[in-house]
Amino acid sequence: MFHELAPQLFNGLVLGAFYAIVAIGLSLIMNLTGTINMAHGSFMTLAGYLAYSLVLRGTSFWFALLAAPLIGVLVGVLVERTLVRPLYKREPFYSLLMTFGLSLMAEEAFRLIWGPNGVPFSPPPGLGSAVSLGFMSFPTFRIFIAVVLVVAIVALALFLTRTRFGLRLRAAVQDTEMIAALGTNTQVLYAVNFGLGIFLAGIAGVLAAGMLGLSPTSGNALLMPAFVTVIIGGMGSLFGSIVGGVLVGLVISMTTLFVPAASEVSMYVLMAIVLMVRPRGLFGEEGIFG
Amino acid sequence: MTRPLINRRRFVTLAGAGTAAAFGIPAFLPRVGEAADTLKVGICEEYTGVYAAQAVNETRGFQMCVDAWNKRGGVLGRKIEMVKEDNQNDPGVGAQKAHKLIDQDKVVAILGTINSAVSLSVAGVTSTAGVLFIDTGGHSDNVTGASCHWNTFRTCHSTWMETHATGYSLAKRYGKKWYLITPDYAFGHALETGFKDVLSHIGGQIVGSALTPLGTTDFSSYLTKIADTKPDVVMVLVQGDDYTNCLKQMNQFGMLKKFPVGGPQVELEPLLSLPVEARGGYWGIEWYYKSEKTLGKGNTLAHAFVTDTIKRFGDPPTARNCFAYVSMDRLLTTIAETKSTDGVKLAHAIENTRFTSIFNGTAYYRKEDHQLMWPMWVAKIRPDGTPGDKNDLFDVTDIQAAEAVEQTVAEKEKVCHLGYP
Repeated sequence: MFHELAPQLFNGLVLGAFYAIVAIGLSLIMNLTGTINMAHGSFMTLAGYLAYSLVLRGTSFWFALLAAPLIGVLVGVLVERTLVRPLYKREPFYSLLMTFGLSLMAEEAFRLIWGPNGVPFSPPPGLGSAVSLGFMSFPTFRIFIAVVLVVAIVALALFLTRTRFGLRLRAAVQDTEMIAALGTNTQVLYAVNFGLGIFLAGIAGVLAAGMLGLSPTSGNALLMPAFVTVIIGGMGSLFGSIVGGVLVGLVISMTTLFVPAASEVSMYVLMAIVLMVRPRGLFGEEGIFG
Repeated sequence: MTRPLINRRRFVTLAGAGTAAAFGIPAFLPRVGEAADTLKVGICEEYTGVYAAQAVNETRGFQMCVDAWNKRGGVLGRKIEMVKEDNQNDPGVGAQKAHKLIDQDKVVAILGTINSAVSLSVAGVTSTAGVLFIDTGGHSDNVTGASCHWNTFRTCHSTWMETHATGYSLAKRYGKKWYLITPDYAFGHALETGFKDVLSHIGGQIVGSALTPLGTTDFSSYLTKIADTKPDVVMVLVQGDDYTNCLKQMNQFGMLKKFPVGGPQVELEPLLSLPVEARGGYWGIEWYYKSEKTLGKGNTLAHAFVTDTIKRFGDPPTARNCFAYVSMDRLLTTIAETKSTDGVKLAHAIENTRFTSIFNGTAYYRKEDHQLMWPMWVAKIRPDGTPGDKNDLFDVTDIQAAEAVEQTVAEKEKVCHLGYP
């Protein structure tokens, strides 16, 4: 039994870390501005394609892993300044529709630039094989992904709790008007916060491109689990996103082992149970947004 | 500033509706002009979802054919106009779009579909409405089997043809203990049925089978189960983006070094998106742009089609381009020959009419089940392509005659009742 359970547990944890980092990006943007970013998956795809193009032009995977998300941030901040910002004072429905439209346009743009077919993108040779863990073989790249995601999450936590800018961001989530009255330029906060969310999406996008396929629609496939993760973890809680992600990953993996046909629906069942028992999500703060 | 109100309940509603729409809403597709004197043909394709790349290539094939006909003056003195709809890879949406094409756009026929479940739903709607339907790319046996209709013709191969063209040679090459990775819908189930029939004739067995939902991104949970079953070969039945994800992850788990892979069908689209190290094995193929075995020696039409497609779109044509071209050309040829757009007349005229096209040999849509009877091929994958052409991935090794790999007329007549009005 152990040799069956162990690989699934490992897979579940890696998958969970993936969903967590995408969900944290979504949460960051949503918590501060109330924007439900339906184009989050498109920013993941964009970073994947940018990394692919960079590697194709001779740069290393490591450079691409950092550069592609950063270019994604530039695009993200531009989008925030020009398209999202005018909608901050409106109902969330407006920004949802706008970002949804943006994701459709992005998908078509990816098709025009990189073609309708997927493109081949591999991890670097050193990470392309599997290592033996004694009781099982596990892809080196997945272990690397888990490490990168944990480092990213810890770095984000330190940024939000130990730096002045991070503290301002958290304070702005609590009370934007007060933080503005104290002399903080909230527009800069919004832009940096949006960029931070996109950066995390970009990291996830490049890693996903190495692990899964890379096609115009690949990012959107990871968006729904990320939304479910946010709901399970609880809105307003970054820690909740981490726990939610791990739970979703484990539940999908375990269901695949025992009831494969229910693997897709299992995360929704989990979400329904959590919402019935604790409507605000596991670590959510009811009313945090208003 | 007053922050907009959003609470958990609203988030669930908005995010749920938004994401559902994101997976479902049609991609932006330009409409062709709607001049009254045009002859409209409905195109119903999976422009969103795991088969989007194939849908684009089928559309290119349709376009090449329509442009060629329009250049010659159209058909029955009318220009041909395509009305494209996205069925969103969903049988329910496919049925809605078929209704829209028939009732609103007044198309003379509907062509397209890749997902067999969508093919079946469109076949149902069109047969009731009396409109011809050519299933270009949905392979499930049912389309020309138990769920056949008088108005429905299929151009791509049936799952029975695919499994029987490849099963015997794969067993001979690798062994008779197979592990199947199967997409969990009509197409995958039909492939499994076909392979079970092959194995029953050669005394082989399926040592394990993973039924994977369409659109699976992470295959790891399925892959870790394979090693315990010790198969001779892993048969990969998933297609589209699922194929890419599956093979890529098999490589990362080190499984491609442990087990040979193969399958009843591989397409150029997902293969091109695979890293070189994850490409390999023997597979069934349905057409190829760079082999005389598939194009036919001296077939100038086929070679011109390949050259023109590359010149126009920058990409080589795949089997999808071929399915679409052949289907559209057959429809327009039949309309021109019968001087009619009546569904029943067209259907009768298409049956058993032999024709040549952009593939090797002569073919016909069989009268008893409306399956296009044309060869299938088996190919070995060349991971790196050939010098000067990195897309030249198939080394075509074998050609299988349609009659040798499809069920006989007698077998089909037991399950398929066309039910002409």
